[in-house]
This record gives sequence, C-alpha cells and structure tokens, in this order.
Amino acid sequence: MAIDTITEQEQLKSAVSDEVVVTMVSVNKWFGDFHVLKDIDLTVHKGERVVICGPSGSGKSTLIRCINRLEEHQRGDIVINGVVLDNNLKNIDTIRRDVGMVFQSFNLFPHLSVLENCTLAPIWVRNMSKREAEEVAMEYLTRVKIPEQAAKYPGQLSGGQQQRVAIARSLCMNPQIMLFDEPTSALDPEMISEVLDVMVELADTGMTMLCVTHEMGFAKRVADRVIFMDFGEIVEQNTPNEFFDNPQLDRTKLFLSQILAH
Amino acid sequence: MSDVPTRDADGMIIFRPKPSQPPPPNTTGVIGWLRFNLFNGIFSTLATLIGLAALVYVFLAFYDWAIVKGVWEAQNRQECRLGKEWGTCWAGVEFWFSGFIYGRYPAPEIWRINLAALILVLWMAPLWIPRVTAKSVIGLSAVLVFPFLAGYMFLGGERNLFMVAVVPVAMVWFAATMVHVLLCVLTGHGLGRWIIHLTGFSNRSDRAARYPLMAAAAVAWLLVLFAIRDWTLVEVGTNRWGGLFLTTVISGIGIASALPSGIVLALGRRSKMPIIRILCIGFIELFRSVPLITILFMATTMFPLFLPEGLVFNKLASAIVAVCLFAAAYMAETVRGGLQAIPKGQYEAAEAVGLGYWKVMGLIVLPQALKLMIPNIVGNFIGLFKDTTLVSIIGLYDLLGMVKAVSHDPQWIGLHHEPLFTAALIFFLACFAMSKYSQYLERKLGAGDRR
Repeated sequence: MAIDTITEQEQLKSAVSDEVVVTMVSVNKWFGDFHVLKDIDLTVHKGERVVICGPSGSGKSTLIRCINRLEEHQRGDIVINGVVLDNNLKNIDTIRRDVGMVFQSFNLFPHLSVLENCTLAPIWVRNMSKREAEEVAMEYLTRVKIPEQAAKYPGQLSGGQQQRVAIARSLCMNPQIMLFDEPTSALDPEMISEVLDVMVELADTGMTMLCVTHEMGFAKRVADRVIFMDFGEIVEQNTPNEFFDNPQLDRTKLFLSQILAH
Repeated sequence: MSDVPTRDADGMIIFRPKPSQPPPPNTTGVIGWLRFNLFNGIFSTLATLIGLAALVYVFLAFYDWAIVKGVWEAQNRQECRLGKEWGTCWAGVEFWFSGFIYGRYPAPEIWRINLAALILVLWMAPLWIPRVTAKSVIGLSAVLVFPFLAGYMFLGGERNLFMVAVVPVAMVWFAATMVHVLLCVLTGHGLGRWIIHLTGFSNRSDRAARYPLMAAAAVAWLLVLFAIRDWTLVEVGTNRWGGLFLTTVISGIGIASALPSGIVLALGRRSKMPIIRILCIGFIELFRSVPLITILFMATTMFPLFLPEGLVFNKLASAIVAVCLFAAAYMAETVRGGLQAIPKGQYEAAEAVGLGYWKVMGLIVLPQALKLMIPNIVGNFIGLFKDTTLVSIIGLYDLLGMVKAVSHDPQWIGLHHEPLFTAALIFFLACFAMSKYSQYLERKLGAGDRR
C-alpha cells in the first residue's frame, strides 16, 4: 500500500510544472482590528495540488478567498497567472474568469435549473452561444456524473449532487485554478465520498487546486503539499508523507493528533 | 412477514425495510369536516352559530336595501323616493355610470378610450400565450411604446414634430406585434424569422440578417407616417378626463414607473458610494415621511410658483409626477427588503464566476428578490391604485371625484350612498383581481425551485 501511494504521488508530482500561477508576498489582512492574515508568503505552481488545513478561525478560508478577491487584502502583493490583483476592476475580472471556486454551502442559483446554473457564466462572461455553452455544460455534468439531473432545480437535489453541480459550474468557465472552500463540510457522511471522488478525478486531469479541507485521506492521496495554518500564519508546509508522519512543530503535532484521534 | 430472516449467498441477513402503511382512518368526508371544523366542542359550536347569524343578518339587510327597495327606473331622485318609501336609487347610478367610467370625456370621442384599452389588452395578451416568442420585447414595448399612442389618442389635437414621428412608430410596432403573434401561433416561427426567410437572408450571419428587419421597419414607418399625415383627432383637454379612466391613467403610469425606479433607488441605497447612497436615502425617507396628499398639494400649488412665468404645468401632469415619486419611494423599500433576504453566498458565487455588478444584480439577485417580494409588490400596486383617489381633493375628477359629483347634480341632488357603493364595488373588483393574480404568480414562479 505504502509503496503504491508513493509511486502514485511521484507520478502526480511529475505533472507539476515550473510555471508559477499563484504568488503571494507578505500578504496581510485585517477584519476591523482583527489581524486575520499575517505575512503570508505562498507560491503555487501550475498543476500543483495544495491542501490547506488548520483550526477554525485560522484564516485558511480568508487566504483562498483573497485569491479571487472575495476578500480584499490590505498589504502585500498577490499575482495570479501574471496578473496583479489590485483595485483595478479589469484585473479582478480577468482573474475571476480564470479562477473557479467551490463553496462550503454550494451557493447554486436556486432560481435556475442545473443546466442554466452551468451555462450562465459562459454565456454572460465568455460570450459563448447558448448551444455551445449547453454542450460544454453537459460534458462537465457528465464528468461529475449527473447529466440526468440537468433539467432539475438545485432544491430538488441532494447535498452531494448540489456540490457536484457547483464543481461542474466552475469547470464550465474552463478555469486555470480551482479553489475549494471546505467543499465537504456541509455534507452528510454518505455524500462526502461522491464529492471527493469527483475532486480526485479532477486532480488527475492536472488541474491546479487549492483546497481548504479536513479530509486528511484526500490530502494524503492527492496533495503535492499540505499547508497547516494557525493564527493567520502558515505554521508548517510539507509533502503529505512528511507532514503526517514527521511534523516538525509541536503545534502541528497537536492538531494532527486531534483530528486523527477518532 | 416470516420470522426466519432471509440470508444471501454469504449468509448475511438481508435488510428489508418495512412497507409503508396507509394512515389510520380519519374523520374524513363532509360530516367529519363539519364536526371537526365547525362543531368541535361547546365554544366552537357557539362561535359557528353566532357567526352564521351575523352573516344572515348582514345579507338580509343588504338584500333589503339593494334589491327590495331598489328603484331602477326614475328621472330624478324625487321619483326614487316616492316610488318606494326611501327607495334605493340605482337609477341615478345608471344615469351617471358612463361618467363614473369616462368622466366628462365628450361622448362622441369615448371610442378613443375604449380602442386604446382594447389595443393595450391585445398588446399584453400574447405574454400569456405559450407559443409566442420574444415576450420580453412585447412586454417592454407595451410599457414604453404604447403610452405614446395612448397619449395621443386620449389628448388628440395637432401633433408636434415628436408626436408626428412617434405615433407611427407605435402603430407599426403594434401591427408588427399582432402579425408576429399570429405567425407564432400558426406557424411556430416569429415575424423576424419570416422576414429574414422571405428576403433570403437566412443563410447570412446574425449581423447581416438584421438589415432586412431594419429595412422592413423603416419602410412600414414611412408608409404609416405618410398615410396619417393629415389625420387628427379632436383635442380633448385633460380637464375633461375623469372617472375610472383617469384613475387608471394615473395609477397605471405610477405602477409602471414604480418598479424600475424603486429598483434603482433600492440599489442606490445599498451602494458603496456614499454620495449616491445619501441621495437615495434622502429621497426615500423624504417621500415616505410625507403624506401623499401633501405631495399632491405641493406639486399642484407650490411647484408652479418656482417655475418661470408663463410656463404653466398641467395639473394632471403634476399629479402624475407626484404619484410616481411617492410610489418609487415606497417600492424602493419593498425591493430593499427583498434584496436583504438574498444570502451573501449568492453574491459571492456570482462574483466568483466573473459576473460584474449589473449582471450579478440582474441575473442572480433581483430575479430571486423580486419573486420573494411579489405579494408585497402587488400589495404596493393595490395601495397605489386606491391612493390615487386622493387626486379628487386637488380637483381632478377621478372615479371618486365623479361619484361625489353626482350629489351636486340638481336632478340627483344628495345621492351619496348608491354611487359610493358602486365605486367601492369597482375598486374591490380591480384590487381583488390584482391580489388573485399575484397569488397565482407566486404559485407559478415558486413551483420550480422549492428550497
């Protein structure tokens, strides 16, 4: 088993290129007086899969929400795909087109059918024709294994199905980077695996992924790097094997012992 | 079920969920319903009997007043009184009924109002026919183009340059809409498709396919413009407008303008730009804290004092502007309520896929917010429709104004109750219809996406 995992990881790692897609240099952010992100330095390469974990309130969600400007950072530099993330609306638009995001609470558009959820952005942002957008959408809905639900409304689907639609919706924009903000935290145990399966398959295609998650099995299987955050700082980062088997800091060890206790 | 569990090939006990059972027999049927809802215990029985007695009493009293004592044929109020002892004078209502509907609009010209109403109905009706395409264009044009045609039909008189150009536009548009609807119903393809097909542009690009459409529209416009160059309607001043017609004009314009302006104000109030926000809050709070009647008086008596001498603003126009501003402020608060009910996640998801502010609002937030707010929005419309009766106080003869005018007519002097009852009935029918339609709309739009 262990050997298997290692070779698999070596294989995956070979997909990581030298090209840098996300650069964060001493990024700081405050909510009012509360210092959420402290001097974050992070570089993500094309095709790399990064899992971010840490206790709640440690700033991990805020970190990835800064990448597509759902949160505004106050100090430091963020560069995505060579575009500087600043107050320039054009840059923000460019970045959002290339960065897909999946939320903890799915956030599907309840007044639109599953298919319309998927075609909305390609039609209105990428100016795709309706027919073309529907073809693309059906392709991705097939990939997340729910093409038969295309005509239904989000409210008629289970949580796991909704989250898979949300993943398909993001993929329809053909993003370069995918952000996952605790995608399985709002799901029943029986539905978690169907979403993780889709994410694993997505990872196999070589997509650059940043996932905030507590699914350590997923991290071990897929991640090139695991980042542990606490108090708004990156405490430790390493390859999954090193991270789980040989944590360097006592704080990491404590966290791992807590989440792996049961 | 057998007590011995079934086992599969591996010897594992197979789990079989119990079959669902029907609910226990209930007190169903008419008798059961009556017993459960009307005569369920002493208090319930007592309440039912008292309620029934009150209903019967009110109905009998009304029947006596309206039907038994009703006088339907009389030349004046005196005859009504003498015919039966203090008879209920429906004859007066009959005599004045045309006035309730059209005000003092000259009788030979009343066809213009009826025709405009018919055109509006025909213009809007396709929105409810499933096979018709381009419904948003039809609906928008009914709101934006029809008023110019109706305005000229109601007012008449010499057309100025603007009206010379715009009346044919509205006529062509209406005719095209009707042909389009017929073609859609009969052939399944709209007018645009047919024109493109018949002119042989169907293989060309979308851009090129627009040319025959624009050419056809221009030719039709010029033809109509030429055909009606000498056509004029007798001028009817707004002082002769009145009755339900005037009520409908004022509230119709108010309702049509309230939703868009309310949306703009509500978005402004939530804007991140302080100046816009302050302006919107100021406007909304000002108009919501002042009674409509005060705004009407301001518009018709004080506002002209600030205008340069010689520029006289029509009283009806001022009243309409006042009603529109008032309605916009109220609608803004209703829409804001709807906007606040939309979870933050919807904005974030929409922004994350790259939609800009107006697309987030127009495609994601407003459709959901407005649907949530349908009961309140229609409630606003109903309120506005009834509020327009206040214009009778500033001297416009709307439905209420006409009803009150009856009692000043020497023939029918002092006749109050019957006309007022008639007006109440007309208002009730209109408002009840709006309310029922809103409930239907709510059900229809809510069907797809139960959360």
